Amino acid sequence: MDDEDTVSFRDPCVQCSAVDWGISDEGRFFCRSCHNVIERTREVVDTSFLFSSNKISSIGTGPTTTTTTAERSVSWLACEGFQFILKNQADALLRLGVRPDFKDGVLCPLWRRFLQKSRQAFTHNPVRSTAFTASGMEPEVESGTDSVWSLDALSDGESNLSSSAADSRSDWSESSDAPSSQRRGRRRRRGVLTMKKTLALIHVALMWSREPLTLSDLLRLVNEGHVPYVNAHQDLPDQMKVAGKGAMLFKVETVPSHQSVYKEAQALVLFLQLPAFPPISGQVPLHPALLSLRYLTDANLPDDLHPWVCQLMEHVGMQDEKFHTFNPGHCSVLPRHDVLTAAFIIITMKFLFGLDDRTEWEVTNKACLNDDSGEMFNLRSWYQLVQTALTRAQSRREEDAARRQWKPHKPIYFRRKDRCWVTKKKRIAEQVQLCFEKLSSRPAGIQDHRPSTFGFCWGDGVDSDGPALHHARLAGILTQNTSFLFPSNGSYWHSGIRDCSQRNCSSHYPSLQSSLPRSFVFLLELFSFLLDVAPSYLFEEVLAVERKIFETRSFGTKIRQKNSDSALLNIND
Amino acid sequence: MDDFDPGLIPICDLEKDEDDEVSDGGSSKGSCKLRLPWVKPKPAEQHKLQHGFQHSTSICLEQIREAMLHHRWEEAAEYMACYAQIIEDQDTTHASQYKEVVWRMATEILHHHPKSTIEDYNSIYERMKYSGVKHYLMICLEHSFHLLLHGWTEDAKQQLTAAESWRHGKESAGQLHRLKLIQAYRSLLDYITWCDKKSTRSNNSNWESDENVIMHNYFRQASVNLKEILKNPGVWDPFILCYVKMLEFYEDQEEALKVLNEYAYDDNFPPNPNAHVYLYQHLKRYNASEKKLMKVLKGLHAFVPSHELMLEYSSLLLQSAKEKHTHTALGVLLDMLDFSCWRNNLDVWTRLKAVIQELQKEADWEAVVAEKMVTRKDWWWSALHFTRFHLSKDAEENPELLKIKASLTKILCPDLPLKYSAEGQNQ
Repeated sequence: MDDEDTVSFRDPCVQCSAVDWGISDEGRFFCRSCHNVIERTREVVDTSFLFSSNKISSIGTGPTTTTTTAERSVSWLACEGFQFILKNQADALLRLGVRPDFKDGVLCPLWRRFLQKSRQAFTHNPVRSTAFTASGMEPEVESGTDSVWSLDALSDGESNLSSSAADSRSDWSESSDAPSSQRRGRRRRRGVLTMKKTLALIHVALMWSREPLTLSDLLRLVNEGHVPYVNAHQDLPDQMKVAGKGAMLFKVETVPSHQSVYKEAQALVLFLQLPAFPPISGQVPLHPALLSLRYLTDANLPDDLHPWVCQLMEHVGMQDEKFHTFNPGHCSVLPRHDVLTAAFIIITMKFLFGLDDRTEWEVTNKACLNDDSGEMFNLRSWYQLVQTALTRAQSRREEDAARRQWKPHKPIYFRRKDRCWVTKKKRIAEQVQLCFEKLSSRPAGIQDHRPSTFGFCWGDGVDSDGPALHHARLAGILTQNTSFLFPSNGSYWHSGIRDCSQRNCSSHYPSLQSSLPRSFVFLLELFSFLLDVAPSYLFEEVLAVERKIFETRSFGTKIRQKNSDSALLNIND
Repeated sequence: MDDFDPGLIPICDLEKDEDDEVSDGGSSKGSCKLRLPWVKPKPAEQHKLQHGFQHSTSICLEQIREAMLHHRWEEAAEYMACYAQIIEDQDTTHASQYKEVVWRMATEILHHHPKSTIEDYNSIYERMKYSGVKHYLMICLEHSFHLLLHGWTEDAKQQLTAAESWRHGKESAGQLHRLKLIQAYRSLLDYITWCDKKSTRSNNSNWESDENVIMHNYFRQASVNLKEILKNPGVWDPFILCYVKMLEFYEDQEEALKVLNEYAYDDNFPPNPNAHVYLYQHLKRYNASEKKLMKVLKGLHAFVPSHELMLEYSSLLLQSAKEKHTHTALGVLLDMLDFSCWRNNLDVWTRLKAVIQELQKEADWEAVVAEKMVTRKDWWWSALHFTRFHLSKDAEENPELLKIKASLTKILCPDLPLKYSAEGQNQ
């Protein structure tokens, strides 16, 4: 009997967080679960409460609602939401130092092209996409109609689309091809927007604008929170309520791995039918020649290694820019600069030091035997330094992972009836968190650290991970022969590099790991930590490069110098 | 890696050590003083989903567990603050599991953390109580225990009263079970209040005075509930003691006796030796006849032959001066001595000696003894009491015992050649 009075008041109880109100005899509201009486009384149901921002309420019941308050919710499409999110992400990148032209000159046209290709905008016959209504909630669908997760919910915005198309016609719009019915299904799937696609789009845009941000850098920024991704929907304008079936699109609880974003980017590039990218020549920081300098510095390896890395690249024939630039005609696989560069460095180390748990120590011993000045690069001391720093950094990363908070401040709920218990859970979690924060006097979550390109800091400063070995000389491990330098190490080993014929086999690394030399495994771990990828991923890349090296020769013959100018290898089988 | 100092070692020191030795990463060829830290690669499968809510919460849980195991309570509290987000997870399959984990861990941390206050406890209990329905009753119970232990009896009672009237959905068997428990403890709290009132009232006051009336009210409340509870089969030891105490105070012996008899002899109740003990103690307090006492103790003997009340039982039997009873007494004492806890007890042996002496007045006492000893005639009983080791030990610690035991060896084990004798100790 008092239900109609209390149905509009959906505040959770202060004491027990339940939403179950009754009205006592005096006309006061009380909580049915814990009998907590509050000040609110029946007569004073002030509707102005409903619109204040810190209470959960439903705004508007239909298009005829007119309110005088500032908050006014609108109907919007999923792609509009994603557009906002992309804009926020681009702004964050600009703040981090990406050049300003990136946002308007590269990302924006790419986004419009995507909308056009997926026929969500800039087209004469738009496909239906997820819509969010003004009430913030889809009307409850009868069981005969679409299933809950179908993304083909009726859009109520034919008018929306035409207005947005009219507003933002750009010189990029090409006439859309009349899609044939066979390709319609596949295209629609490719055109479905997800949060992961935003990252893929940004990665493609960064590669186009030749910024020195690789995919692993981008993912690291996302993980540290410098680029909005998890709970990005919180930054949408207040008028755009994220609730209902379509809200699933915006809910993320994982940051995707390098591999999955790469696959997404690859698919995107083909879907968008992009032309050849601007070439990535040897002077561009994304090119492995320059990128390797950065990774060598980060791994505390001597700068003297850099010419050897470049020599290796040339030897394999990958110095040329065409291997590192996407081109639909010539090289239709999106290049992975970061993983490739790391693989090159590892292989160079393998050439110079052997890395079979024996040769490298022998070579180092010989090198440092006669060294009085301490200038020679000592692999042993390098290993100790880097191993301790790596272990420390890995445990710090684990601690940060344990402390990270994933839940948004404004929880998303998919059905109207879920709102109560979702809010209740949030309140309970908050209270427990507050209690323990007070007890431990340390707030939950991670303290923000400043973004950095490097994983380690080598030098003599107070906060450094250890002394820098960049200026050490490699002369000790090389021998002079006429006018050329050769590595003293004369042997090279590799795992089976033939392509595995099984389709579902992603990597043999887990089974091989225990039999590989520990030094090699350590290098893999180091670089996979720096790039935040799985060691098996990097291992496969190393094998791919080795395949390229040995493919140019037939098996079983002695490998001599390629030509007199590059004195790199002197491998005796 | 344990003996390796993670600090920086200057390069020159390393080279001095490694001058003329060929050493690999870790093998010890020659005397390699320096050991390089081993590479400990992470297993390859671990890298699957490194950045996600599930991963974060599972690592957080591990960290809390480690911190708790090593008693680093401040650290545990820090991680607990970060772990609270698991409650918000909308996946309902494991929701109640997570809530239970949070409840139990949070209370454990509060128990040990130096800065925890009663408000923290109250806050956590209240939150977790209303977080779900599965654990509501148990959390209520635990909360009220906690309040009781810290002296907040009224609050504890309030909690239990609120819990008692709580119902949710279909009443499951588990729910009914827990509700009974809650009812029982509420009556216990009534009893505690009653005790308080009893001790604080002035002795000269009128029976009908105000404070006494309050006291009587509590008694009534408690007794009604307890009577209800005690009808259910179960082990209700602390409750029955309270009830009987209250009844004795109000001099309602009949009721007390009835309740105790039912508790001890009702077949629906699980076998409980304590029931017989309580009954016996009550009867003794009210000077019941020996026959009754013996009957109760006979029941107890069937349950627990090694109970200490068996000493009293044997004394009673001996006092009755009947032949049959003397035989029973012998059996009882020998049963006691089957257990090694009575091995060195002087009382038992003294009584045994008295019984034997009494027995020896009969004609065929040897047959009786032999009959009782038939199951013990294998070497195990004598090995329990009469070996040379026992001889030396008893000679050192307890010479009186030695005397009594020595006198009984020949009687109890006539056939076996035992070294246990007063003269034997000189060997």
